[in-house]
Amino acid sequence: MAASRVRILMIVLASGVIFDLLLLESENINIGLGSAAELTGYWLFGVMVFLTLFNLRKKLSMIPLGPASIWLALHTVGGVLALALFWLHTGTIWPTGIYEQVLVVLFYATVASGIFGYVAQKIYPPRLTQSGVEVIYERIPDHIFEIRDEVEALVLQCTEDTRVDTLGRHYLDTMSWFFRKPRFFLSHMVGSQMGRQWVRQQDANVRRYLNDAEAEFLDKMTELAMLKNGIDLHYALQSIMKRWLLIHLPLTAALMTLSVWHLLVVNVYAL
Amino acid sequence: MATVAHLSRPQRWDSPYDPEMQDSDVQDLLTRPEISAIDAGSFPDSLPLEGILKNDTRIVRFNPGDIVVREGDYGNSAFVILKGKLRVFTGDYPAALLGRETASKKSLFETIAQVWTNKRTPEVRDTSRYGDQAVRASKRGGRSRRLDSGSSVFVQDIPVVLNKYKTAEMSEGALFGELAALGRIPRTATIFAEDGATLLEIRWQGLREIRRFDDGFRRMIDNRYRQNALLVHLRETELFANLDEEALDKVAQATLFETYGAFDWHVSYQKMRSSGQSSAGNEPPIARQGEYVDGLLMIRAGFARVAREYGTGQRTLTYLGAGDNFGLEELYEGWKAGETVNMSSSLTALGYVDALRVPAQVLEEHVFPHLEEGLIKPAEKTERTLADDALLEFAVEERFINATQAMLIDLDRCVRCDDCVRACASTHGGNPRFLRHGKTFDHWMVTNACMHCTDPVCMIGCPTGAIHRSQVGGSVVINDDTCIGCSTCATSCPYDNIRMVEIRSADSHVVVDPATSQPILKATKCDLCYTNPGGPACVRACPHDALNRVDFHFDSITEGDL
Repeated sequence: MAASRVRILMIVLASGVIFDLLLLESENINIGLGSAAELTGYWLFGVMVFLTLFNLRKKLSMIPLGPASIWLALHTVGGVLALALFWLHTGTIWPTGIYEQVLVVLFYATVASGIFGYVAQKIYPPRLTQSGVEVIYERIPDHIFEIRDEVEALVLQCTEDTRVDTLGRHYLDTMSWFFRKPRFFLSHMVGSQMGRQWVRQQDANVRRYLNDAEAEFLDKMTELAMLKNGIDLHYALQSIMKRWLLIHLPLTAALMTLSVWHLLVVNVYAL
Repeated sequence: MATVAHLSRPQRWDSPYDPEMQDSDVQDLLTRPEISAIDAGSFPDSLPLEGILKNDTRIVRFNPGDIVVREGDYGNSAFVILKGKLRVFTGDYPAALLGRETASKKSLFETIAQVWTNKRTPEVRDTSRYGDQAVRASKRGGRSRRLDSGSSVFVQDIPVVLNKYKTAEMSEGALFGELAALGRIPRTATIFAEDGATLLEIRWQGLREIRRFDDGFRRMIDNRYRQNALLVHLRETELFANLDEEALDKVAQATLFETYGAFDWHVSYQKMRSSGQSSAGNEPPIARQGEYVDGLLMIRAGFARVAREYGTGQRTLTYLGAGDNFGLEELYEGWKAGETVNMSSSLTALGYVDALRVPAQVLEEHVFPHLEEGLIKPAEKTERTLADDALLEFAVEERFINATQAMLIDLDRCVRCDDCVRACASTHGGNPRFLRHGKTFDHWMVTNACMHCTDPVCMIGCPTGAIHRSQVGGSVVINDDTCIGCSTCATSCPYDNIRMVEIRSADSHVVVDPATSQPILKATKCDLCYTNPGGPACVRACPHDALNRVDFHFDSITEGDL
């Protein structure tokens, strides 16, 4: 078994033991007519603080704080533990009271964005590899510009060589839209082949009106369009893998702020 | 009408070692006893001794204190002392004396302090440090082209050094550096000029030709190797470990020295790589499949491809590096069965290969009869598919086999978050020491990060010895203090893994040479975070275990291992 799987298994086991012990202790407290909310609340807050430390670990990468992969494993399993503790702490999936409801919405949204990010990071990398293209995200605009430049030169060359502007008009009317910027974002996101199909369809639409010499230029244009489609895929999936954090982190910040306030209020008024 | 461009066919001596070498210099050299001992008549008309002296040698003058060769450096030439005295260190001496970095691991506090000491501007240097180094402009009595960059590290205060450290004298006529040059192994000693000295420097191509055509010179070189290194090498080899002194001596006497391929393989490889050509079919053969096995080949330096015919091509079975051998199983099986056997695979040089050939007859007489049972195991007949070996084929083709620490990314796991790049930048003054980009194969990417090569061609020609192997761990590192920004290492690296950067002063201004108004450059590359506790920051920073440092020879590259 790979080391990473053993690592995950051990963390899951440890988390399970922690949760079971807390569950038992909560039961004991409840049987004694006490309130277990204080115990589970502090544990929940502690786990949430630990989860936020993962981002700090990323910022302090020059300090040997252990492999980030262990931190991610702890973060992932810790997130699940936090959800279980949350339900144990609140005793419901939807509390009453506006403040609690806002807190719960933030909590669920943070968890949901975390799950989305986790799943996206598992599913998307192999799809990027399968595209056969590998690009650095920040260079995507340059690549698109270069491809567009190449296609436009190709179209001009075609018009000059063949003295026919069919392909040129097709480019201006239809294909220039595709080459202008990244397209089919949602389609790439959900794994559909709409971009590829669109390029093939446009190829077929114009091919019947071209002579052999023009068809050779069209072949090259379609080849470049397929390359652009691969880059679009990278743009879409890399954007999602980078930007989901822009939702997850602010949600976390808001959740932690409200949680601290909740802790203060509870300590001042309820205990 | 088709037009053609005209170019004279490039010749062996189109690029002489020193274009200023004159015929009169050659005539002077021919009168010297060391050179006149070489039999000029044994050289063919196409490669006369005079031609070798004129094109493959140069006369270099060294000032007192100049370091001629530095322990641990890689060089491609040997030297003959024409005039003056040199000193060789025979005992311990500080690395700083040679311009080497003496950096130690950072303490925990120093590591944490990077959080607030890291500058916002990248590549900031404390420029006052550079003044402490013994780097000086090279003005070696006229025409010295040895140091194109015009600077070198020198030994300061020679009388003190001579008193403090153990040295031995080398006087006129002494030849040195030939074993490192021919064997492509690191220099084993540091030699510096005590007084002003004039040396004849012979590049490896010239050495190879002289050794090839002059029996006396070859015997002298071979005997020196036999006396200095071969016996020790053989004794350390498991196969010969049980031999008595007499038998070992006979093996040593019968052993042949062979070299294949070009010493500067990286130059032709770079051209081939940039033109997108394949090296397969252009590799010098060492042993051919189907031919009679006449001896055991022991690789001393370089890499060789073991391949077998497959379809219309050659399928790579494995590759061999220093310490590996080839043909032993066939020889042993043949000896046991009492019949001659042929090679079941071929061996070709990947770049430069320095090998020892122990004749079959010697093995059969002195080694096989006393061999312990089980020492030679027949190769495992595991059926591997083309897909199983595809990554190996890729690594050999791209010469990544040279790597001891290639940065390999599993693209099926990598989420392109660039945490590795940021971690590298935060550990190295704000600028990453690698590009998360490189050759890809299937779902693997070998990025543009220094691979800390077994054969570090980047170290050849560094005028100040700034690029060197660290004393701890053996990674290839650059001493920023003595790097003069000549770009020799960056140009030599066949994998484009060294970057030249403009440095900035503490107040974030670009540092400029007042004489030329050009920015001061420094060579930078991955140093495996050797001064930071915890190992390479890039590996630690990857949350998905997608990035690892690997040696293709030893590491099994599979999904579960990364």
